[in-house]
Amino acid sequence: MDNIAGTKSSLGWAVNISVVFLVVLWLIPTVGLLVSSFRDRDQITATGWWLSPFAVEQNYQVSIPAEEARNDGEFFVIEGNIFSGGEGEVLRFGGRRAAPTEYAAGETADLRRDRTLTLQANGDFVYRNPEEITRDPNIYYSTATPPSFSLDNYRTILFSNNMDVAFINTFTVTIPATIIPILIAAFAAYALAWMDFRGRGFLIAMVVGLLVVPLQLALVPLLQLHNQVGIGQSFLGIWLAHTGFGLPLAIYLLRNYMVGLPRDIIESAKVDGATDFQVFTKIVLPLSFPALASFAIFQFLWVWNDLLVAKVFLPSTAESWVMTVKIADDLLGSRGGDWGILAGAAFISIAVPLVVFFTMQRYLVRGLLAGSVK
Amino acid sequence: MMARFYVGVGALALWAGLAQADGHQPFAVGEGDFTWDSYTEFAEKYDLTGQTVEITGPWTGNEKEKVDKAFSYFASATGATVNYSGSDSFEQDIVISARSGSAPNLAVFPQPGLAADLASQGLLTPLPDGTADWIRDNYAAGQSWVDLGTYADADGVDQMYGIFYRVDVKSLVWYSPIAFDESGYDIPETMEELKELTDLIVEDGGTPWCIGLGSGAATGWPATDWVEEMMLRTQSPEDYDAWVSNEMKFDDPKVVAAMEEFGYFALNDAYVDGGASAVANTDFRDSPSGLFSIPPRCYMHRQASFIPAFFPEGTVLGEDVDFFYFPAYAEKDLGKPVLGAGTVFAITNPSEATNAFIEFLKTPIAHELWMAQGGFLTPHAGVNTDTYLEDSLRAQGDILLNATTFRFDGSDLMPGEIGAGAFWSGMVDYTTGAPAAEVAKGIQDRWDAIQ
Repeated sequence: MDNIAGTKSSLGWAVNISVVFLVVLWLIPTVGLLVSSFRDRDQITATGWWLSPFAVEQNYQVSIPAEEARNDGEFFVIEGNIFSGGEGEVLRFGGRRAAPTEYAAGETADLRRDRTLTLQANGDFVYRNPEEITRDPNIYYSTATPPSFSLDNYRTILFSNNMDVAFINTFTVTIPATIIPILIAAFAAYALAWMDFRGRGFLIAMVVGLLVVPLQLALVPLLQLHNQVGIGQSFLGIWLAHTGFGLPLAIYLLRNYMVGLPRDIIESAKVDGATDFQVFTKIVLPLSFPALASFAIFQFLWVWNDLLVAKVFLPSTAESWVMTVKIADDLLGSRGGDWGILAGAAFISIAVPLVVFFTMQRYLVRGLLAGSVK
Repeated sequence: MMARFYVGVGALALWAGLAQADGHQPFAVGEGDFTWDSYTEFAEKYDLTGQTVEITGPWTGNEKEKVDKAFSYFASATGATVNYSGSDSFEQDIVISARSGSAPNLAVFPQPGLAADLASQGLLTPLPDGTADWIRDNYAAGQSWVDLGTYADADGVDQMYGIFYRVDVKSLVWYSPIAFDESGYDIPETMEELKELTDLIVEDGGTPWCIGLGSGAATGWPATDWVEEMMLRTQSPEDYDAWVSNEMKFDDPKVVAAMEEFGYFALNDAYVDGGASAVANTDFRDSPSGLFSIPPRCYMHRQASFIPAFFPEGTVLGEDVDFFYFPAYAEKDLGKPVLGAGTVFAITNPSEATNAFIEFLKTPIAHELWMAQGGFLTPHAGVNTDTYLEDSLRAQGDILLNATTFRFDGSDLMPGEIGAGAFWSGMVDYTTGAPAAEVAKGIQDRWDAIQ
């Protein structure tokens, strides 16, 4: 704005603040997921991720050994320290699970049936019982647990069986499933944009119409077709499926971009004797690079994240799992509540798309405008 | 066509070979309490070298590891390769693959209703002749397992399609023995005592129950178990059967009363951890965690025998947590009804090796190999119960055997649209405030619509 004389907006700071606010708002879930991916299951259930840098007061239970009881005449007494070897600090304690923090450290608790329990802050305890102790008594205490972060979740995910195979499989699916539709769509888009033939308008309308057809409708018939022609459940099959599902958007996006290229260039090339193929390869294709790149990103992200198509069109053996299937069926599977694993797996699987996105994002912004401005 | 088939088999055999190299067989042949005779006898009968059995089912993660280990003995006995793959969305996957002609050899259905659906579309192959007789003779309460595995085929003729392998007992209440002992609570023997205990815990300032219905797309199913339990405890088994087959309408006063019996526990803010409004939002996998927190967020949790898989790591069954039979009303004189469920094997793509695998499932060793790894109950009467991993499993097996009435999970037997749809969502509506009669009417309307 600075280079426009005399129009420096006095509301610039407001714009900046709202931008920062929106960015933070959008990032909160991701940050929460990132923090959670370093915590273990118990911690995640104990406190929210926003409290993770602070020590948490947690309650614990410890059994004291009944066989160490000695008789001092009046009472059977067990003495000892609840922190075996390690150090700790007791904040509060109690003798019943229902009231684990009834007494402050150092006090003497009167338990039921004339039993007493004293617990010092350093963990030393004295337990007295007028009758013989037959079962290990339980002591409940609260102590501050320091925050702890670990890479355990990532280790579990990365070193689980077949994770490397799944990673390679995802690439095997994603790269051809990105390139094939671009190749086909670029030709089709040129034809629909710059070649005159009967029914062109109708074809474009068909392509736009296909955009709204949900792919779930096509799963069963398409797999039936694959089985009939002998492709079956295979990588070739999933490439074709993704190509088919991606083509309408690709053709529509590229066609709208190509239609916006200056007519003069193309017409003068034709006047100079260029064939359609030459116009396409020498002029239109290089000029359409931003649109091609932006569609490549869309398609890459969609195929990378896909679970449904991969489950239907690939065999269900562990050796042909892609990452999403591996995470959903094997790592989480029967452990739906394992948030740490879920968060870690999410970050591992978005690593590659992030790299792709950041290396190609300048094309994405340009490409998003594809066909929208003439 | 043939060439492609062989290439496919070759590739699969290669994969399976790789997979098998990873898994070790945990039990040496001939050692322990296992019925190894049945294994060697089976091994002598079959040589299936080079053949493959493909199986898909709902067991994933650590359950898949157990399955792989148990099935690896089939491979070592016959020379065939077994390829088991589990899926979190098995119910959808099997329909897609069966309809499009790429079904595995065997499918493991968690719900007989779904298997019956596929059978009626002609997508299942009946089990080899004589299987029904064998089950009748060798499974405890054999006839009921035969009935549960018999469905109408595409022409409406009843055929034997399913053999049960692994069952769950549902009528269990999990509790912490330590918490019960310290507070002086006794295990209730009757439903009246259970209700008294519930009130007593509230008087003592505690919360008696943890109930969670959340389960992703299947949210609501734990409540259907509750209603089925209550149905068995308030009405006769004949009424229960009539309800499941819809001869008794869903909005019958008896069914509505059973739903309200569930509501007695679930809709009372003082009875449930987090209050009644938390019931529908809590994931069923997280809900038992209240038993283990200090102080306890709840004292009891009604859930099937598989739930220990979701207890915190390091939990010792029998010490940290135990179970008792979800009791019946003393005054109603309906005996000791037990609700159960199970997974059923059915042939989706027949082959010689597939039939051999069905034979393998009939051997005691096939059951013992998973019993010894935990989390497995079986109705097979020929197994050596010493091979159960834990005493608690044996005790659950006893509940199964001592039942005066055994009934299969009703929602699993209803048509998928009801038992895996309207009933689930209806129970969520009920726990979030809709009146029972209205919910029941809505479910019956859906049922009328599909008939």
